[in-house]
Amino acid sequence: MLLNKLLVGIMLLAVLPSRAAETDSSRMEVIRPVMSAYTFEAGGSHLADTYLTPLIYGGYSLALQYERWQAMKFSPERWVMSLSVRGTWDHADSPARNNSMWYAGLDARWAMMHRCKLPWGITVGAGGATGIMAGCMYNGRNSNNPASTKVSWTIDAAAYASWKTRIGRLPVTLTYRPIMPLTGVFYGVEYGQLYYEYWLGNRKNTIHWGHWGNYFAMDNQLTADLHFGSTSLRVGYRGYVYSTKVNGITSRITSNTFIIGISGEWMSINPRKKLSVDNARIISAL
Amino acid sequence: MPAIVRIIILYILSLLTAFGFSSCHEIEQWEDDPRGNFEALWTVVDEHYCFFADKGVDWDEVHDRYAAKISDEMTRSELFDVCAAMLAELRDGHTNLSSPFEVSYYRKWWSDYPQNYDARLVEQYYFNFNYRQVNGMTYGILPQNVGYIYYGSFGVTLGEGNLDYVLNYLASTQGLIIDVRDNGGGDLTNVETLVSRFITQETVVGSIWHKTGPGHGDFSEPYPIHYRPAGGSHVLWGKPVVVLCNRSTFSAANNFVSVMKYLPGVTVVGATTGGGSGMPFSSEIPNGWGVRFSACPMYDARGICTEQGVTPTEGCAIDLDPVQALAGHDTMLDFAVDILVSSSGATLATSCEAVATCSDPTASRDNCDG
Repeated sequence: MLLNKLLVGIMLLAVLPSRAAETDSSRMEVIRPVMSAYTFEAGGSHLADTYLTPLIYGGYSLALQYERWQAMKFSPERWVMSLSVRGTWDHADSPARNNSMWYAGLDARWAMMHRCKLPWGITVGAGGATGIMAGCMYNGRNSNNPASTKVSWTIDAAAYASWKTRIGRLPVTLTYRPIMPLTGVFYGVEYGQLYYEYWLGNRKNTIHWGHWGNYFAMDNQLTADLHFGSTSLRVGYRGYVYSTKVNGITSRITSNTFIIGISGEWMSINPRKKLSVDNARIISAL
Repeated sequence: MPAIVRIIILYILSLLTAFGFSSCHEIEQWEDDPRGNFEALWTVVDEHYCFFADKGVDWDEVHDRYAAKISDEMTRSELFDVCAAMLAELRDGHTNLSSPFEVSYYRKWWSDYPQNYDARLVEQYYFNFNYRQVNGMTYGILPQNVGYIYYGSFGVTLGEGNLDYVLNYLASTQGLIIDVRDNGGGDLTNVETLVSRFITQETVVGSIWHKTGPGHGDFSEPYPIHYRPAGGSHVLWGKPVVVLCNRSTFSAANNFVSVMKYLPGVTVVGATTGGGSGMPFSSEIPNGWGVRFSACPMYDARGICTEQGVTPTEGCAIDLDPVQALAGHDTMLDFAVDILVSSSGATLATSCEAVATCSDPTASRDNCDG
């Protein structure tokens, strides 16, 4: 973070060197840098959906995720928001390894969390989130029941804990971020209904109110941002569980993936604003 | 207690509670051994098959009888034979067990009946091989000025443009025969495409049900299936129609016959169809064998289950005479032609009765005409 602050300072001086003295130092301008990360994930996964097969398939999971964090405008010291967009591709084989199943899904989630700064560079936050998930599990061998559609909109509990520390001389930010849906609505086909009947127009009993009894998901992400410079290397782990049971159909996706990517803090500065090192204050998201 | 500590405690409690709830989402698993695979197969069918009551199958009794034949020492082939025999108890042409070395079929639904169709007979003796073919349809005009379409599989997608061309080509004929003998089914969307040329208003053509749970009686309310006439500038057929079918008219083709049977101006001629009115689901067992079975029953417009087949219009049941076939006569096709020829000015139902009395191909046609 020191590096980032230094960078901002240099930028501000470069933009407005002659006007720095004329600014009103009593009016503090808050700059809220965006911490963004682009990551790739790979690991193992298990897929199961009793609409498609009674067996649990095992294989691998690949994902791409974009994530951004920023302090909120109305109370940047206390509130932060995060947005993540994630695309997942899972491939799994049957226990006998003579059939495959795929899952492709998109997930977009926005969270707003209240944070508290603790000693030793630790920040913790908790709040709410909302997100949509849309995906499809496909079984290559099935004829009239080849796919199981997953669509949901949920309201989630979100939290995070970050610890700014050093490994030797290298600044490191460790972040743990769990998200867990509390309630929402989701799609679930009837026990023995064909999509042909759904296509004919029978959509009864396919939209459900979600609660922990029929819809459970949890996303645990643990990352370490290694600050080599203005851009950081992100490595980490994600444990993901998605489990639904509705209309007598149980569906489950679990994955354990390794995360690698880049992250960094970026700022947009309006050159028409009279900013200086003295009256600009940077409030980071983490 | 600081707020953050309360939040952390709440979070941990929530997590434990949530995991407690999610542990209810169990998925029953079986061992990959003869008994495990047998039980998996029996359970999959037990929880999803839709015709236990219609066919009077006591699946629990079937379990006990076949479970006694399972041993840990049996080979894969022996296990397959026992499982296939168990599935045959369902007497269902839509039920198969698929292994790398064999796929089981229940064949008695057609093997115990006369075949009643010989493609070469029609192609050679009725068209002298001068017929037209497009997109799964073989068509032409018979000497009695009767249009003829043979459609051998509803798995071949019917193009609207192709249908327009075929029906326009046959427009000058006095009636149309749609021959779906040996049509083993395919996509129901093709049934709708074809039927939409023979209706002039939105029509309820049947209903579909689905299972709502694992119990043998857990079914949804019937959902009516509506077909609409082909829109736009597509050709609609308003002249008399005869649908020709045999025991091997199965699944989607069986559904087509069940729909056409109740349309005005349509007569069903031939033998009772093969049934197959349950739309099949797919599943599998731990050793990787696939299983397919009827899961969603479809009923005709009068609420009758057609799993056992669709009977011809009253008075229009006829088989192909093998002796006459040797002489180049398809007695079923002849019967259908006679109905259309004699139907001008009369209803098709009464034509059936009139033609039935004249169906002896050795009799003079003149005596039957009019």
